[in-house]
Amino acid sequence: MKSLINTLADPIYSFPLFTLLFCLGIRYYTTVGSKKFALLSLVLCLPVAGWFLADEQFIKIILWPDNIPISILIILIAVFTWLPLHKAAINDSRIAAGNPPLEALPQNREKVWVWPNLVYTELFALIMGTIFLIVWAILFKAPLEEPANPTWAPNPAKAPWYFLGLQEMLVYFDPWMAGVVLPGLIIVGLMAIPYIDTNPKGNGYYCFQDRKLAITLFLFGWLVLWIYLIIVGTFLRGPNWTFYGPFEYWDHHKVVAAYNVNLSEFFWIKWFNAPLPENILFREIPGILLTLVYLLALPPLIAKTALGRDMLEKTGLVRFSIAVFLALSMASLPIKMVLRWLFDLKYIIALPELELNL
Amino acid sequence: MPPKKHESGMAYNMVRLNRLFAFLSFFLLATVLWVFLDDYIRPWKIVQLEARQIERKKLDEQIAEEEETIDGDKLQGLERELHEARAQLAQRTGEREEISDSLREIQKEITAETITGGRLNALSADQNYRYEQAQGHGANRAQVERLRRDLLEYRRQFAQSRERMKGLEGRQKSLRSQLAEISAQETEAQRALDEMLRRKNLLELARNKTNSDIVFFVRNAPFFDFMDPTLRIEQLVVDTALDDRYFQHVPKVDRCITCHTFIDRPGYENEPNPHRTHPNLDLMVGAEGHHPMKQFGCTSCHGGEGHRVNDFVAAAHTPQNEEQKARWVAQYNWHEPHKIPQPMYKLQYTESQCLKCHQGVEYVPEAPKLNAGIQMMEEYGCYACHRIEGWEHKRRPGPSLQRIASKVTKEFFKNWVWSPKGFNKQALMPSFFMQSNNRDEESVAKNIAEVNAMAQYVWDKSQDYSPLDTYTGGDGARGKELVGQIGCMGCHGVEGFEGESRQVGARAGPYLGNLGSKIKDPNWLITWLKRPDHYDPETIMPSFRLTDAEAQDIATYLLSLKNPGFESLVFEETDEAVRDELLIDYLAAFDTREEATRKVLAMGPHEKDLELGRRSIGKYGCYSCHAIEGFDGLPPVGPELTEEGTKPLTQFAFNLQHTVEHSRDGWIKAHLENPRRWDDGLQKDFKDLTKMPNFNFTQAQAESLTLVLLGFVGEEIPLKGQKRLDEYEQLWAQGQRLVNKFNCYGCHQVDGMRGEILAMYGDDLNAAPPRLVDQGRRVQTDWFYHFLEDVHPIRPWLQVRMPSFKLTPEERNTIVSGFQGKSQQQTFVELRPELNDALAWISPEEEAEAGRLFNALVCASCHTQGYNSDPPLAPDLRMTKRKLRPEWTKVWLSNPQAIYPETSMPNFWENGESLAPDYFGGDAQKQQDALVKYLYHRGWEKIPLSQND
Repeated sequence: MKSLINTLADPIYSFPLFTLLFCLGIRYYTTVGSKKFALLSLVLCLPVAGWFLADEQFIKIILWPDNIPISILIILIAVFTWLPLHKAAINDSRIAAGNPPLEALPQNREKVWVWPNLVYTELFALIMGTIFLIVWAILFKAPLEEPANPTWAPNPAKAPWYFLGLQEMLVYFDPWMAGVVLPGLIIVGLMAIPYIDTNPKGNGYYCFQDRKLAITLFLFGWLVLWIYLIIVGTFLRGPNWTFYGPFEYWDHHKVVAAYNVNLSEFFWIKWFNAPLPENILFREIPGILLTLVYLLALPPLIAKTALGRDMLEKTGLVRFSIAVFLALSMASLPIKMVLRWLFDLKYIIALPELELNL
Repeated sequence: MPPKKHESGMAYNMVRLNRLFAFLSFFLLATVLWVFLDDYIRPWKIVQLEARQIERKKLDEQIAEEEETIDGDKLQGLERELHEARAQLAQRTGEREEISDSLREIQKEITAETITGGRLNALSADQNYRYEQAQGHGANRAQVERLRRDLLEYRRQFAQSRERMKGLEGRQKSLRSQLAEISAQETEAQRALDEMLRRKNLLELARNKTNSDIVFFVRNAPFFDFMDPTLRIEQLVVDTALDDRYFQHVPKVDRCITCHTFIDRPGYENEPNPHRTHPNLDLMVGAEGHHPMKQFGCTSCHGGEGHRVNDFVAAAHTPQNEEQKARWVAQYNWHEPHKIPQPMYKLQYTESQCLKCHQGVEYVPEAPKLNAGIQMMEEYGCYACHRIEGWEHKRRPGPSLQRIASKVTKEFFKNWVWSPKGFNKQALMPSFFMQSNNRDEESVAKNIAEVNAMAQYVWDKSQDYSPLDTYTGGDGARGKELVGQIGCMGCHGVEGFEGESRQVGARAGPYLGNLGSKIKDPNWLITWLKRPDHYDPETIMPSFRLTDAEAQDIATYLLSLKNPGFESLVFEETDEAVRDELLIDYLAAFDTREEATRKVLAMGPHEKDLELGRRSIGKYGCYSCHAIEGFDGLPPVGPELTEEGTKPLTQFAFNLQHTVEHSRDGWIKAHLENPRRWDDGLQKDFKDLTKMPNFNFTQAQAESLTLVLLGFVGEEIPLKGQKRLDEYEQLWAQGQRLVNKFNCYGCHQVDGMRGEILAMYGDDLNAAPPRLVDQGRRVQTDWFYHFLEDVHPIRPWLQVRMPSFKLTPEERNTIVSGFQGKSQQQTFVELRPELNDALAWISPEEEAEAGRLFNALVCASCHTQGYNSDPPLAPDLRMTKRKLRPEWTKVWLSNPQAIYPETSMPNFWENGESLAPDYFGGDAQKQQDALVKYLYHRGWEKIPLSQND
């Protein structure tokens, strides 16, 4: 069983699995959002978690002082993903029945005083947060690592936990992409949401039906492409950033076969049995073309679909283009991951001469 | 619509919010207190409290001891005296009070006068300044004059005040002495009592400091303990070693003494750790020792995190063994320290750290374990295959193979290389073949091809050599006797002397066993015994000035030792296909296999052997230990060990050896026990198999070598911390290199160090090679130099011989000045003119009396040479003049047993009392001076050359 879990935890399997679970969760969000489901999963999870924790290697990684926030994060994410889904499920069924959402009921629309209702309770949160941090600091010491030595890097060398998703992206992308372009797009994209998403529905109440696409896209990016990668980076990446199953000993000598080939090498050498062209742009022409098609030809095609047409109508050309560009950029991560796993593809465009790899 | 739960404008019930707030506030307070407690309760405080108890107990004991030494009767007497004196004093109370009153009155006046005088002094100083200003800066005459008048007036008044004061002080003095006179008896009695109780009182004062009183509690109470706590972290900051703090090297901070409270205080040797005194205060830690802790700290030698005092584990304590580890786990919750580049050294390895500061010397004084390890490393020649900085001067550990064909048969050579231990168990040469990683059929076949090829190569390159002498045979029994007597065993273990060989443990030369099965040509052995350098000019083997008969006898004995089993071995022939395959593998490193095969097939069989032999010798690194033609200037075969002790743990490959402790010393020790173990369970090609040969070290040997290796650190030591040799020490460091190279140590114990052969003589040290005690102070420069050049017998009773080494003049000079440096003596000090004056006779009577004293002490009964024809029992006294230094001769005469307890020379001046009291008035000093002069006047001007030349 443990070896099966070790195997399944490998991103090659766990990423599709997690994506599948995510899709099922979204499709059947009313079930997921029910109290019964929450209770049942809690009851099921507890013994499983206990069994996991009984493993020597697993508990070692969990109790690693750096990793404790991730465990807390996982629990919080589960709760705070379920809670809105739960509320959305209730509201959606009310709206479908022709009732106003819960938040729109008169007793919930009543105005209350900022003091004490808000400020006082904020103070409580402040105190609770302080107590929590103090107790944490006392119980789990934060020991220093060895003196820094430029010729002797710690192995694994891990970023702070909140950057582990980015570090995981480095497995699939050039540092320029994973470290600069994609994070930049994430920040810009998040900032742009209020300007792109002009859908007035869903303001002030939880719902899913009214904002299907927005919620699905965001949650996919958040849960699958960010949280999942942090979990992998924290618990499943050991020395040499090699994948280790949750019950697998972190052996420094573990080797994983990874020999990656560029698209241009596939194209010219493998398929055409021809030497690589001298001209670097010509050499990378297949990748460049593919990327251009992906970024330029896909948006019009999307605009042809029912969903796309609807969106284009409601938001206008500029907003539509930006939204589609951002969504495509986001999708490039899973696409690249799958291509890597299936074909050992290194880069679609490989221009190390210009420090531009994609 | 449901009823309204709360009042309008409110989402919550205010009362409940307030309650929640109260609860949270209380909780926050509790956590804050927890923070303080967590910060306040530290393990080291508990240790310090224990230490206080121990100290208190100790002081109580000392007070009790002191009380016992106090004579009760005497104390009572003193107390009675004091009592009586006080009673007497009481009778004169009226008188005393009267004087006291007067004294008080005078004291009042003195105080008043002090004020007056002080004011006047200030005024006159002020006035003086004004006057000088006016005078110097051209004020008008009248003003200057007025200022001067005032100044003089102040001065006059001040002088009057002083006069009055003197009068008052005089009266005060006389009154005080009256008072003292009245109470003189009481004062004296009190003083005597105090004197008697002083030590006890001091001890009590010290004990009171360990009282758990209110002051102690307040000073150490939470919140107050920031001011001046008695329980506190104690630290040493030393500039002789550095701590690596994140790209910055800072002076080392060690807080070990926070818990190891009494580490530098004698008297706590039997307390449990951490309260124990350091076991060697004279050498380490002690303020008077060589390495005071205030100067050198703790972790500079012990390793570990000296600045961390959080708890036992934080300091990176390392258990010595599994048993201690188990105890620590139970007692201190011990676990592997987290990310520490250098945890504390296990206690058995601490001595290794001497090396990081003591560089450029052969051995480190007072480090027996380290020196034993260094010696073992010299014997096994680790430095030949592995470069070690500072070891470059050592000789090649193996014999030269440049003329080997004339010494042994090729068959012997191959069988020996295949299994040196198979020839004799004591062989120092390690085993390359039939080890855990190359015992399989394929490897054996390839190894056989390699050995055959190496032999072919060596024989091909071997130069012709013809011995000088001819073996005619002799008396083997006599030969055996000689081997045991003349000193062969200082360097060699010898078959037939198994017990003695074990006792001595000599390793400088090979074990002399089974030579009959090894030496091809007896003539070679005869020549070798008589003139070792004829065969190998580089050898350190000396000549024992053997006569022809002696050489024949010894050779007969040695050749009679045989190993018939080994002799009958026939080394397997090379499988030619295997040889081709090996060669192809070599060539295919750069060529394609096809091309490599073509090239190999084009070679003749001899050419193939030579090629494979050359490559195999390079592969196994034979040339690192043995001189072989064609390998000059090649770097040694193994990796450098200069910084092995600080090599990161991650760079040690433990492979599948999970039973090996995951530490630097664990790896090194396991490696030394069986270097081939790392290949276990791995799939390696033949050419990639681990090649480090197996020395078959025992656990103890491996541990000893590990100790030395841990000392080869790449740590930066500030100049202040490094041992810097002074002028004399440098001379000895150079000299000692040669003393070590030629294995003088094998026979001579030098100032208590080594002298392995002494073990053979048991208690009869007088029959052993002389121990060299303060040799540089003992002998004259010229004599020492010429003695090394032309050895002549000195002690007629010795059977063991000082051999003649082939030393260059430079080497002789280095040895002589080395010994003189060791004794802190100048060269040619014996040529000082004032010395000659001191040795001159004062009068002819003195000379005559000295002669009579010489006869009276019957010196010539043992030192017969030149006096009578009896067989001599002691050295020739005529040599004294040119051999010994006069100062030393006198020291020797005054008490020979102090220098050589084993000597048969009598002490004529036991406790300074002369055995011949009739001469020189029985004055020991004068007698000794006279005898020294006598010896120097009667001695040879030039010691005759030995008969050997």
